[in-house]
Amino acid sequence: MSFAIEPMEQFMVHKVVDIAPINIGGFMLDMSITNSTVMMLVAATLISILLAFSSRGSLVPGRVQAVGEILFDLIDNTLVTPIIGHNGKPYIPFVFTIFMLVLFMNLGGVLLSVGSLGGQEWTFTPTAQLAVTATLALLTFLSVIVIGIIKNGFGIYKLFVPSGMPLAMVIVMVPIELISFLARPLTLAMRLFGNMLGGHVVMYIFGSFVVMLGAIGLTGGIATLGFVGSALSLSMVVVLTGLELVVAGLQAFVFAALATVYLNEVVNLGHGH
Amino acid sequence: MSASETTEGTAHAEAGGLPQFDPAWWPGQIAWFLIIFLAVFILMRTIFVPRIGGTIANRDATIEGDIARARQLKDEADAQVQAAAAETAAARASSQKLASEARAKAQAEIAAGLAKEEAKLAESTAKAEASIAEARDKAMGGVRAIAIDTAQAIVGKLTGKPASAAEIEAALAARG
Repeated sequence: MSFAIEPMEQFMVHKVVDIAPINIGGFMLDMSITNSTVMMLVAATLISILLAFSSRGSLVPGRVQAVGEILFDLIDNTLVTPIIGHNGKPYIPFVFTIFMLVLFMNLGGVLLSVGSLGGQEWTFTPTAQLAVTATLALLTFLSVIVIGIIKNGFGIYKLFVPSGMPLAMVIVMVPIELISFLARPLTLAMRLFGNMLGGHVVMYIFGSFVVMLGAIGLTGGIATLGFVGSALSLSMVVVLTGLELVVAGLQAFVFAALATVYLNEVVNLGHGH
Repeated sequence: MSASETTEGTAHAEAGGLPQFDPAWWPGQIAWFLIIFLAVFILMRTIFVPRIGGTIANRDATIEGDIARARQLKDEADAQVQAAAAETAAARASSQKLASEARAKAQAEIAAGLAKEEAKLAESTAKAEASIAEARDKAMGGVRAIAIDTAQAIVGKLTGKPASAAEIEAALAARG
């Protein structure tokens, strides 16, 4: 018996429903529904169901309503209002959308481990796809720039030139500020991508140890000790599952927190909030 | 079996390590993610955030209103408690006054009764003393007559010559 360890197989995208490519100015955009699309849609659907329950507006909330309200309160009263202030209210939908989508796509990869159904592998984490995290990071970055220009016009340059700084320092500081500003989408994308990728690879490897060492143990003799290793690996998988749940929530919060911090810089630019 | 392994192997070789870097899947994922993000964002902006935010604000306002009303009711109750305490104190004071008055009256009555009884007692005591004195005087008078008789008899026996009652009387009077 032998098992091929393919830790990267779980990140393979494959088509579920074939859709003819759409021609956009000569570029053929393949909008086929893939396993990645399915998990994104599942996340969006679960978010909608949860928040629909939370939108019923009972004065005394039920359990499901309370969950949505706690998540909303986390974004409103822990991030947006303390960081941006009361003029941050218009940005709550944007930050909440980021938070909920990242959270549910992260959690989907851990909790919705349905395995293979109908000859297809369904367990998939869209946030472990660089295409997805980079899109979200760029979307956040560009939104911050657009909001900054709408709010401040040409005054957006103050983002790179802190007020009251001597000219000699400006020459040094502006490139540093510019580089750190431009690095934001990269760090946002890589942080989420790396966290999800790493966690899932480690879980897969320990999971395959369970099977491999168990198979060795079956051969008998001194190799029976393989069962011990198998059991230890299984307990590692259990621990890592818990850790992954923490990371899923934490990374969603970190992404939302950074988006809020970046928004705050352009919303309260020069106000010394 | 071997055929499928070979195709898998080639797929991996083509992807070159991480499947995430396979550019074939990028446009579709980006387009779908943007569509889904936009859809969720529109739902958030138009329905979820206003409603959930409204519910929470409404709840906070209700709780604040309830607390304010409870505080007001508590103040009212406190005022009533104070009024009741004042009333109780007043009632206690008047009842104490009444009680002390009643006590004073009763004591005065008792004292008057006592004085009357004592006066009565003193009168009867005086009467009794007077009758005792009279009786004694009377008894003492009897004793004088006996003494005179006895003295007459003794004088008669001793001297052989009876003394007259007048002589004995005179002798007694001389002695007091």
